[in-house]
Amino acid sequence: MIQIDNVTVRFRIPHERIPTFQEYAIRWLKRRGVRYADFNALNDISFSVEQGETIGIIGPNGAGKSTLLKVIARVLRPTRGRLRLRGRVAPLLELGAGFDYEMTGRENVFLNGAVLGFSRKDIARRLDRIVDFSGIGDFIDAPVRTYSSGMVARLGFAVATDIRPEVLIIDEVLAVGDAEFQQKSAARIREFRGSGSTILVVSHSPASIKALCDRALWLEHGAIRAIGPADAVVDQYAPGKPVR
Amino acid sequence: MIDRTVATNPRSTAEVAALAYDSDLRPPPFVDELVQLWRYRDLVLLLTGNILKNRYKRSLLGILWMLLNPLLQTIVLAIAFGALFQSALPHYPIYLLSGLLAWNFVTQTTQYAMGVMAGGGGLLKRIYIPRATYIVAVVGNGLVNSLVSIVPLLLVMIVFQHPLGASWAFLPFSLLILTAFTLGLALLLSTASVFFTDSIDIYQIVVQAGFFLTPIMYPPSVLPGPLNDWLLLNPFYLLIELFRTPIYANAVPDAGLIASATALALATLLTGWTVFTRRVDQLAYRL
Ligand SMILES: Nc1ncnc2c1ncn2[C@@H]1O[C@H](COP(=O)(O)OP(=O)(O)O)[C@@H](O)[C@H]1O
Ligand SMILES: [Mg+2]
Repeated sequence: MIQIDNVTVRFRIPHERIPTFQEYAIRWLKRRGVRYADFNALNDISFSVEQGETIGIIGPNGAGKSTLLKVIARVLRPTRGRLRLRGRVAPLLELGAGFDYEMTGRENVFLNGAVLGFSRKDIARRLDRIVDFSGIGDFIDAPVRTYSSGMVARLGFAVATDIRPEVLIIDEVLAVGDAEFQQKSAARIREFRGSGSTILVVSHSPASIKALCDRALWLEHGAIRAIGPADAVVDQYAPGKPVR
Repeated sequence: MIDRTVATNPRSTAEVAALAYDSDLRPPPFVDELVQLWRYRDLVLLLTGNILKNRYKRSLLGILWMLLNPLLQTIVLAIAFGALFQSALPHYPIYLLSGLLAWNFVTQTTQYAMGVMAGGGGLLKRIYIPRATYIVAVVGNGLVNSLVSIVPLLLVMIVFQHPLGASWAFLPFSLLILTAFTLGLALLLSTASVFFTDSIDIYQIVVQAGFFLTPIMYPPSVLPGPLNDWLLLNPFYLLIELFRTPIYANAVPDAGLIASATALALATLLTGWTVFTRRVDQLAYRL
């Protein structure tokens, strides 16, 4: 269960230049404050997701989709409003976030695992299974800088989804990688779905939203335009055509 | 390739329930950040090790360079000033090197921490990790560097046949105090570096001035009257003396010095943690 009540995320964008002590001093002397523009990336949003439900989030660029997922992943604390959820969240916001490209794939499994909050011992125990699922093979002991973006995504996905999370959030990350990885990752997500994980997925593909999701949430300018059965909302948002 | 079945979650329902999150019921950041940091302790350790690896793996001399650097610094300064302070400071290189060690620990570590935060705070805006993770890892890395730097110090002591006494038993305490102070200062300065982009440049100037205004390469007696009177207000001086006395003077620092250095370090750490955790939620917005 995820409950979002009146969540606002407000970025403060300095009107003029990057703030420096010097600027502040000059402005203070001139008795002028630094001016900011407030910008609500999310504006008083409320909705809830039932446990075991899969919900797709659609909307144009800059609508606030990533911001919403970041709130749920606790990267951003809402400026106002309340977030409640239950269970472990597996964030697939950027696959391989926190990878150190100079280090080997194996070392990065430990690093990425630690970033996700797992203990070293825990990762060591599950290492073989993770490497196996990633399909990286012998490259696991090569530096990650030698990997293709698809390989980075595979490894990141394998670490983040090795244990079924109660909540899975996916931000447009599954488009990378080859057909085999796409199938494999989709299969794993379906498996999670079948075992009761709650899933939020941002995608620009109407077809995959329709195929995967129970409901869809249409965001625009930080507000909810529509929320309801996936087919209906997707058709309303993108009647007949795939949207970029 | 055959898919292995995905493990079902091994946690008990009680543990899962404990993971319930409510943004309105979060403990105060001052406490919450500590709890999270403890939960992510493996990450802190891993990053500490990675910083070390990345710093020295690429250069051919590797760890040798780490040992050589303070030695070279000492040799240059000893050639320049050795004769000048020969009577006031016998075994001048040992006075110098022990002072440099403490000074470099505090200043290099804080500058590095500021750079890491100002440079995007690494992961902080992409995934949730405790906000102080990088700062603590950088300070941990600084501490390891200092411990390693004790090797060249020992070498110089052997060359000069400087006595190594029981006062060395005091050094772990000195390092603890130094570390607490450095962590507090690093938290304060890293917070500043996120909110004011020129704080790195300003601190750079402070560090440069501090190096000449603090008795590191000269004895305190060299300072002109007024500066000498205020010497005990120089936090760097207190900390350097706390570290240097057991090595150079072969004595445990006097109680007054221990008390003021300890109070200073604890106050700095407390202030740093308070300021940092009060701003912690804004970090991801500002980075
Ligand atoms: N750190 C930030 N500072 C200022 N504005 C931001 C920041 N992050 C996102 N935004 C703004 O918030 C809006 C929503 O962004 P985002 O959630 O990434 O959109 P989407 O994922 O729907 O394309 C955008 O207009 C973006 O410019
Ligand atoms: Mg986005």
